[in-house]
Amino acid sequence: MVQPIANTLVESQALYLDPAIRDWVLIPIMIVMVLVGVLRDQVTILLGANTFKKPGLKAIRETKALQRGTVLRLYGNNIPPPSFHARKIYLSSAFERGTFLKNPAAANQPVNPMTDPQGMEMMMEGMKKNMAMIIPQTIIMAWVNFFFSGFVLIKLPFPLTLRFKSMLQRGVETPDMDVTWVSSLSWYFLNLFGLRSIFTLLLGEDNAADGMRDMQSMAAMGGAAPGQPQDFHKLFLAERENLELTPHEWELEDVEYRLLVKYGKRTEGEYQLYKKSLIEDVVAASENATSLQENKLKTRRKGGGKRD
Amino acid sequence: MSKFSFSSAVATLQELRKTGERKSDLVVSLGEIIIESVWSVYEQIFIAALDLKNDKLAKICLDNLEKRFANSPRVKILEGMKLEAEGKLDDASTIYKNILEADESNVAQGFLALDRAAGKRVIATFKAKGQISEAIEALSKYLDVYCNDTEAWLELSALYLEQHLYQQARFCLEEVILLQPQNHLSHLKYAEILYTSDNIPLALREYCRVVELCDDYLRALYGIKLCTEHLLSLENTSSSSSKSQVSTSLYDAKILSELKLLATERILNTYSRKSRDTATDKSNEFKKYIVEWLQAA
Repeated sequence: MVQPIANTLVESQALYLDPAIRDWVLIPIMIVMVLVGVLRDQVTILLGANTFKKPGLKAIRETKALQRGTVLRLYGNNIPPPSFHARKIYLSSAFERGTFLKNPAAANQPVNPMTDPQGMEMMMEGMKKNMAMIIPQTIIMAWVNFFFSGFVLIKLPFPLTLRFKSMLQRGVETPDMDVTWVSSLSWYFLNLFGLRSIFTLLLGEDNAADGMRDMQSMAAMGGAAPGQPQDFHKLFLAERENLELTPHEWELEDVEYRLLVKYGKRTEGEYQLYKKSLIEDVVAASENATSLQENKLKTRRKGGGKRD
Repeated sequence: MSKFSFSSAVATLQELRKTGERKSDLVVSLGEIIIESVWSVYEQIFIAALDLKNDKLAKICLDNLEKRFANSPRVKILEGMKLEAEGKLDDASTIYKNILEADESNVAQGFLALDRAAGKRVIATFKAKGQISEAIEALSKYLDVYCNDTEAWLELSALYLEQHLYQQARFCLEEVILLQPQNHLSHLKYAEILYTSDNIPLALREYCRVVELCDDYLRALYGIKLCTEHLLSLENTSSSSSKSQVSTSLYDAKILSELKLLATERILNTYSRKSRDTATDKSNEFKKYIVEWLQAA
């Protein structure tokens, strides 16, 4: 007589779990993890209470200077050409020389958070927070591993494929056991990743109890380290390039004609003709300007050569 | 408590007082919120009282605030403002300077209304003392950092204008225009500075811009009229002396005269629309002369 395979599996693996395991292992692990999460949230609030620091005057100046370049690029068309070009030249040379930097002398060095006291502080803050995250998690994991290693805690009510075995049965190295059984260490991990919504319920949005957060910050460490100060010199150089590429089309070039059109003294067609004649002038003017700029570049290169 | 309205809270409390009900839980929950916000109300009243020279009210507000916030720089600034109002400018500026020494970025803080930050108060005391050049220096230093503060640029340009430094005032207004390109008033101010510093062609364009941004803006229309007249008279004199200059001039005379006609027409149109119903005999007569003069010019 051939029995269905599933049936035999169910029968052969009809483990009976001691209710004491539920009362003394399964629920305590979960409660401890929730409590530690709440504690962690409180600790982070304690540590982070005084972390908000007002940026110094020079730091504000840096960011505002960058904004100034952007404003000039976006709305430069509203001021007369000489004013625009004066600003463009001033800003781009200042950006290049790093006049607006907190420390103009260090313009060409990469940003080193160790030398900058503020950067140092930021790193310390990050370290503190990470410590508050990592230490309790390590302790709990060691606790679970030490006391309950090899425990099977629950059976999932739904079938799973074999791939989940390594996820759900960590610490229990039996090849034949059904995947639906969950080991103690895996229960710990399930809690670590799954308690987020419970924390949101308990502590509100944006809490620091969540274990996923430090995982993410760890992953982010590989790329740009968090808390790393921005390299403003690079930003300035990019802004300078943008500025240099910005053409100036004066908004007021034909404003008097536009006004006549607006009040119906001239027609739209006449305006287009007038614009064409203006464009010819502008082209001639810009040719002059580019030749001027080329000359300037040449002289600059010469100057640079001499310095070398 | 998602929706909290003061008027309803105050009304509820009043109602409870009238009926003599205690309902302590409701009173406490409403009262907590009202008491929390009382401080900003005190601050607001204090500044208004200073403006009106109501010293008694100002003193009550300031005393209460000082009792609650003993060492707050925000209250100290208010104290300084009181000294300013009493004319003790030097005492006030020492207070501000002490605050600035403790915290250099108290020049302008986000949560304060900008004119109440210590850095700006220092500039204001300079101005009140009549030390314009010091005020200009301090304001320039401030703007070197906070270069996107439109009102500070306007203030600086006003200070420069007081010193008849038109070139510098012009620069400041260009910054204002960059920050608020669609504001016709900054364009108007810019045009007026240009006109005063005898840059008529540019002034004309700026005046045109003002009218373009704001329909029938009278001051700008009159500006257009003045500019075009000036340019046309220049054209006439230069054409009689040398012909070459005329061809290189910015405008052809046709557009100029058209603009002039347009400006005159719009001015007359606006005024006739405005004063149709309130016109008396005398003002009518007066108006007739002005109309004649406008059309003749």
